[in-house]
Amino acid sequence: MSVPATGHSTTRRGFLSLAASGSAAALIGPRPAGAAEKTITILHESSFIKPFDDYVMNTLSPAYEKETGIKVNYEVTSVGSLPTRISTIAETGSGADVTMNGLLQVIQFGDKYLDVGDIAADIGKAQGGWYDAGREAVLVDGKWKALPFSNIGQLMNWRTDWFAEVGVKKFPETWEELYEVGKKLKAKDHPFGFELGHGFGDNHGWLYPLLWSYGGAEVAADGKTVVIDSDETARAVDFCRKLFKDTMVDDCLGWTDVSNNKAWMSEQISCTNNAESILWFAKREFPDIGKVTDQAMNPAGPKGRFHLLNSISHSIFSFSPVKDEAREFMKWLMAPKQLGGWYAIADSYYQPLLHGYDNAPMWNVEPRNQPFRDALGSAHLPGWPAAASRQMAESVAKYVVVDMFAKACGGTSTKEVIKDAETQLKGIYRSA
Amino acid sequence: MTIASERLPGLVQATRRRTSLAAWLDRESVFSWLMMALPLAFLAALVGYPFFYGILLSLQDRPVAHAGTFVGLKNFVTNLHDPIFWRVTINTFVYTIVTTLLKMVGGLGLALAMNQNFRMKNLVRALLLLPFIIPTVLSTVAWLWMLDPAFSVVNRLLVSLGWPRPGPSWLGNPTLAMVSIIVINTWRGLPFYGITLLAGLQTVPSELYDAAAIDGAGGWHRFRFITLPLLRPIILIVTLFSVIFTFADFQLVYVLTHGGPQNATQLFATYAFDIAMGAGQLGLGASIALAMLPALALLIVALTIYLRRE
Repeated sequence: MSVPATGHSTTRRGFLSLAASGSAAALIGPRPAGAAEKTITILHESSFIKPFDDYVMNTLSPAYEKETGIKVNYEVTSVGSLPTRISTIAETGSGADVTMNGLLQVIQFGDKYLDVGDIAADIGKAQGGWYDAGREAVLVDGKWKALPFSNIGQLMNWRTDWFAEVGVKKFPETWEELYEVGKKLKAKDHPFGFELGHGFGDNHGWLYPLLWSYGGAEVAADGKTVVIDSDETARAVDFCRKLFKDTMVDDCLGWTDVSNNKAWMSEQISCTNNAESILWFAKREFPDIGKVTDQAMNPAGPKGRFHLLNSISHSIFSFSPVKDEAREFMKWLMAPKQLGGWYAIADSYYQPLLHGYDNAPMWNVEPRNQPFRDALGSAHLPGWPAAASRQMAESVAKYVVVDMFAKACGGTSTKEVIKDAETQLKGIYRSA
Repeated sequence: MTIASERLPGLVQATRRRTSLAAWLDRESVFSWLMMALPLAFLAALVGYPFFYGILLSLQDRPVAHAGTFVGLKNFVTNLHDPIFWRVTINTFVYTIVTTLLKMVGGLGLALAMNQNFRMKNLVRALLLLPFIIPTVLSTVAWLWMLDPAFSVVNRLLVSLGWPRPGPSWLGNPTLAMVSIIVINTWRGLPFYGITLLAGLQTVPSELYDAAAIDGAGGWHRFRFITLPLLRPIILIVTLFSVIFTFADFQLVYVLTHGGPQNATQLFATYAFDIAMGAGQLGLGASIALAMLPALALLIVALTIYLRRE
């Protein structure tokens, strides 16, 4: 959370009175509308890229205040606590005016968000048009309940030096080719490691795309008919089992999101599926590993190449006392000058969902990140081809698809794991 | 000569009122309730309200940030048809029963050992509390590293003893993952048992042991016929507490495995949290959390009746 600078050295009494007034303000709630000095509070999850948060606090926020006289308070919440914070604000009707959303919050809190379709249309028109993925991420019952900001993609990370040892210079195009390479690498004690446990992202990040690329899906486009029990799913499950057995470390089954990063930095694995953070972190802390780390799009299956949409977006709370000001602020923030600067400060960790940035200079800072841009065109939400729904959120939270694959890798028969997943999904989508 | 002080009429009235108020306050029925009022209000606000709100939630279809609609027992019926719910039920019972037995036997052994006289007794007793004092999240992260095949001291030891590299996958294998959380919970909970039982041991009058020794009772008989019967009420109370905490355990599993692999370590509390907070289904989540209630209530009632009879 940001602490306002007081401009003078803090005495103990001064601190006490500051703390007291702070807690009093917290008790009273947001400033009443119409107060002389207007403030817009934006809630954001702490960024992996520190300059990204600093850019708002030190550059964007002062610039907006200078232009309009309205203060912008950028409130940073710790990683993982965003959903809880939004829940609290939405349930109590007070707190921030604008919030960042992760993948599921737009669906869960859509009722409490303003329709920003008009702003989105203008932004799209001015900046090359929205990616379909952007629309998929924020449309709730056909209404734009948020302004898409970016994707934080999940792609393949691979060790170029070890792949070269088995004669592979370019990342394999298909899952089957990847499997063949993996077998050779495991024999050389350089196994793969893809998360199959209960993390939040690195498991879904490759398992949904794997399912889709074999032609499977958990639910039909109507968002009601469970279609997991298919030959296509069975083929994906069979493939996953052999990929696990012949290329990976056993421990993947119990991994959470930190595990593959840990295994990567300790040189235990030669390939995994993760966000750009692995390359970032390796370059910063383990430069030797950073040099031999490359990234690639997910391999293709018989039905094509797919990626998981892991978008973030911004919404305005409908109960905000300054919602009109917040709309104006979002228009300003999403204008090319501000938005471009904000994207650029994080290189390409945040992949824009606007075509206008497809050839922006940020993509040349680290060319190894370019696959993240190329993956945007085939990125979907977990419930695809159905639209985002509460049921989709429940299926993700219950790890239905992840555990279907994981159980198969653990030795359960394909038929049984698909039956189990179908039972669970039918229970979940019954209420749709 | 008579000296009479003239009383001021107003004062008389005030005094009388004050005495009557004091008398009223002095009445035991009033005073006891007055003293009880604060704790009762406290309990009502912090225990009663969340509890009844939880029951209310469990009877609703209540997506986060939406108004709830009353659905009766539908959430509970949904759970009955959910295969994971049954997996979670079995997990929770296995976890609670095994850890409680281990902690009970281990804790008793620990207390008996600590009750002996040896050098630096107090220091050792203090150190024993460490696993209990360290915040669970921190100690669990330490265990996370200890169970990681690449860095594990456990695996390094096993491999040096001839186990094929990289050694067992503690958190990747469903059975071993359950074993891991049982071991860690036992490690964490043992000091609680040990220290509480030690306190109980020290209240056993030494004359009883002396008398038994004169009668020719050996170590085992002294334990069986003096220590154990006198310790029984304390063992029961510690067990009661331990079962409640273990049954509703959250932090350990959430940090270590998040219920994985394949829900092998998913417990009521972690599953309820995932459904309520992850999926945003507050009603369904509450109904899963409430599923703990009957088993715990039964246990508490049974133990309380037993203790009363003692």
